[in-house]
Amino acid sequence: MRKSLPQRIALNTVGVVGALLFGFPTYWLITTSFKTPGEVLSPRYDLIPFSITFENFTSALSKPGFTTFLTNSLIVTLGAVLTALVAGVLAAFPLARMRFRGRKGFLFLVLVAQLAPIEALLIPLYLLMRDAGLLNQLPSLLLVYMALTLPFTCWMLYGFVKGIPIELEEAAMIDGCGRWQAFRRVTLPLLGPGLVATSVFSFITAWNEFLFALVLMQDQGKRTIPVWLSTFREAFLVDWGGIMAASVIYAVPALIFFLIVQRKLVSGLTAGAVKG
Amino acid sequence: MTSTKDVAAMPAGNTPPASPRVPTLRARRRRKGFGDSVLPYLLLAPGVLAIGALLIWPTVQLVMISFRKLDLRELVTGQLVWVGVSNYGDVLGDPEFWEVTVRTLVFMGAVVAATIVVALFIALLMKQLNPVVRVLLQVTLVVAWATPAVAATTVFQWIFDQQYGILNKTLALLGFDGFIGHSWFSDGPSTLTVIGLLITWQAVPFVAFSLYAGLIGVPREQYEAAGIDGAGPWQTFRAVSWPAIQPILTIVTFLSVIWDFRVFTQVWAIKQGGPDGESTTLPIYMYLKGIAGSHFGPAAAIAMLMLLVLVILLARYIQLLLRSKEVDLK
Amino acid sequence: MKRWMKLAAGAVAISLATAGCAGSGGSGNTAQSNANAPQQLSGELTVWLMTGSAPEPLTNALHKEFQDANPGVKIKYEIQQWNGIQQKLTTALASQTPPDVIEIGNTQTPAFAAQGVLADLSDSVNDLNGGQWLKGLKDSATFDGKTYGMPFYAANREVIYRKDLFEQAGITTPPASRDEWLAAIDKLKAKFGSDPDFQALYLPGQYWYSLLSFIWDEGGDIAKAEGKNFKSTLNSTEAKAGLEFYKKLVDASGTKAPKDNDEATPQQAGIYGGGKVAMFIGTPGEVATAAKTDPTIKDKTAAFAIPGKSAGKSAPVFLGGSNLAIPVNSKNTAAAKAYLKLLSGQKYQTEIAKGGYVPGTSTDISALSSDPFASVMAKAAQNGRAVPSSPKWGEVESGQNPLKDMMTAYLTGKKSIDQATTDANAALDKLLAGS
Repeated sequence: MRKSLPQRIALNTVGVVGALLFGFPTYWLITTSFKTPGEVLSPRYDLIPFSITFENFTSALSKPGFTTFLTNSLIVTLGAVLTALVAGVLAAFPLARMRFRGRKGFLFLVLVAQLAPIEALLIPLYLLMRDAGLLNQLPSLLLVYMALTLPFTCWMLYGFVKGIPIELEEAAMIDGCGRWQAFRRVTLPLLGPGLVATSVFSFITAWNEFLFALVLMQDQGKRTIPVWLSTFREAFLVDWGGIMAASVIYAVPALIFFLIVQRKLVSGLTAGAVKG
Repeated sequence: MTSTKDVAAMPAGNTPPASPRVPTLRARRRRKGFGDSVLPYLLLAPGVLAIGALLIWPTVQLVMISFRKLDLRELVTGQLVWVGVSNYGDVLGDPEFWEVTVRTLVFMGAVVAATIVVALFIALLMKQLNPVVRVLLQVTLVVAWATPAVAATTVFQWIFDQQYGILNKTLALLGFDGFIGHSWFSDGPSTLTVIGLLITWQAVPFVAFSLYAGLIGVPREQYEAAGIDGAGPWQTFRAVSWPAIQPILTIVTFLSVIWDFRVFTQVWAIKQGGPDGESTTLPIYMYLKGIAGSHFGPAAAIAMLMLLVLVILLARYIQLLLRSKEVDLK
Repeated sequence: MKRWMKLAAGAVAISLATAGCAGSGGSGNTAQSNANAPQQLSGELTVWLMTGSAPEPLTNALHKEFQDANPGVKIKYEIQQWNGIQQKLTTALASQTPPDVIEIGNTQTPAFAAQGVLADLSDSVNDLNGGQWLKGLKDSATFDGKTYGMPFYAANREVIYRKDLFEQAGITTPPASRDEWLAAIDKLKAKFGSDPDFQALYLPGQYWYSLLSFIWDEGGDIAKAEGKNFKSTLNSTEAKAGLEFYKKLVDASGTKAPKDNDEATPQQAGIYGGGKVAMFIGTPGEVATAAKTDPTIKDKTAAFAIPGKSAGKSAPVFLGGSNLAIPVNSKNTAAAKAYLKLLSGQKYQTEIAKGGYVPGTSTDISALSSDPFASVMAKAAQNGRAVPSSPKWGEVESGQNPLKDMMTAYLTGKKSIDQATTDANAALDKLLAGS
């Protein structure tokens, strides 16, 4: 349906206003991170900052261990995203393509697993890792994050796979491909965008997780970025400027990740997305 | 879709087509027998193991803990002290628990509704926007999504600060002098409103993107056809857009209910459930009654009761989701 | 696959959950602690201190000396964050290899002591310079007559003020009584009141540490011990008088600080650094924070003790700080005790004082006297008090503190003083009784 010009102008204006409203807290976060401590608490009306300082950033980045924490976070997060995707694809294929006893049971499990009271699982999971001798090892954190995002990943990928017409695979099988080959050669490439869309969710979930990271990793060398973010708070003092700057730094990898996958995300979601 | 239909219609090997759509796979499976009957289970194994070992099993442990006294002492010594149902009795006998439960449900309902409405609006809007404005909107959405909760909470506290907050300053500038020094955190409803805004702000992006994806999946021809039939915008929405996003809406509502019911970080960071406990929700209640004092027994009992509430709320959804799935698979 | 096997094995282990699997409790097995034979010490010594606690020169020198004296011991030093520390400690204490020395905030110490997860140090108090322990901290580490921690350091609040503004307003000597304090506020307002952004005293509505000073100064308290339990006394006449004085200060000073928030949101030192505030109640460390905003402000700033009701006698102050403790299932109690002994010595206590804190195990505070802010603090610390040493207090403070609600409700006029204190009293009683 074509819209008339005034209609389009009106809609785009609404879009811009929406973006401004939605972007405002982020804008405020970013400008605050560039403000001197005095200006953060200035009684003046300062919608646009009067001056800019990079001190918050330099002091945040000079906190000891930043690169170690960043590396740990990337390992754990990307590892969790990848393993969840692999396990998710493996599960999505039979769920969407095969008929077998227990199929519905697994779908039920995936839905119910979303209900698991994650915060309350801290103690049981801690004891589990302790008794398995996995405390203080990055893989244990990776596993936990994978498990946290897996039900969601399974469900989404299942939807994506089903959104891809089965006839494409069948055609490949007629051409002599095996069942798995057909899936790998035909469906998997089409699934790319779906994988991307799902991974954004997993990435953000794992990247932001604090409590398990704090409790399961005891050595300084094993800490992750969310734990680093909390180092700006001491017994008597809180470095708010530092927290803001650190938050900006902290959000950058997630943003980069999104920008890389953004094109695929939008085109990909068209392929069937979370549709049932 | 049209081209793939042709593929399906082609004679598939030597098996007579049992149904017009997917004869081949079923036929092959019957022939292949053993390998194919084990294959699905092998493929599901990693997922089942991970979910089973790291989500379901700890939850079972949590059920056991809810019947125990598990304070710091018991945790360190590994002692098992069973207390029967007294953890549940204490919680259910606390009038505050019921008050908090009702508050949590109302709060969750409001936040989910706001999230879905705003996200749906944004998704519909995004479809109409010119590419530049659309990307602008999308970037603001993603940034809101990716902002760590600690930082988001702090920023909201600053925006709503009584004296130095940009909101009060702006309102005063616009002539609303009543807002000079207005306190947004002096009573429960106002505090919960700010918290609700914060949560909605961070929850909308995921829902909006999902719905948008569903919308752009609808072939343009369908809209054009509706246009030719003389349907107005609302009728077009009902006839064309709605069927495309309805299943997505079901799953995102399902997830939103779970997430917003359980949200802790933001509620805690803003006012620790205050003032006078008026913004205490169930996760806060669980923290205060259990985790804060290392009383993991009561904490587990509250977690179980929360799970029960969610199951009651969502049983219908689970049914709905499973049924639509089953119908779909031929 | 191997990892899954391991996990499965772990799962079985939990389900069995045999008693005592996390190491046997009790402090008896490590009683041979006499650190007279340091050459015998060996193994690993894990030390957890909090961020911002011990200055680096101190820990460097301390660890070097300890290492030289005990070449067999390997020190593993970790700095922990305050955020989530309770869960961190709780779980760490339950692990097979808990840390050997931990720092616990003084208001949290009773909760840990009461659960029997800290080693009883009663026999070692004399080894650890026990005669000079800071009383407020010592109380927090004592439970049921036994000692479960060694005072580490403390800080307390004082009034930090602008010398130049005081001079311009014609105030020659810092206020030494409540009346003089209020008079100073009036003078400052008379001089600078034309500036709408000026605040004679910045005082946020939920700054309950400051309220404590006034309540104690009136002779009241938050709660009193009744046997093993505590009973709230927030509705006493004295507590009400303290709260009333707080309101008087807020009203007199015309502070623009939020009534619904505490001193950290927004950060008061930052506002002081903005240059429009003549006084605030804070710790010496906050002067450095203010200097981040305006580096010149430090030279214009001095401090005086929080004035008391009667002239010349400053008000009691809340001692905030930390204790050091040894987890009961530490694998290296002997080395941990030797470590504490070394730290409790004068040499390192002086280092703590140089870092700007009141040292925990030494009454010698001469190292603080060179610093104009720390010396005022250290003097006031002698009249330092602690919150009720109830195992429940940690929950009060980290959770929904009824004192904060009481202050906001009274200051905003939402509740009368009787209503506000009665409600807070009931809420606090409920928390202290606990489950």
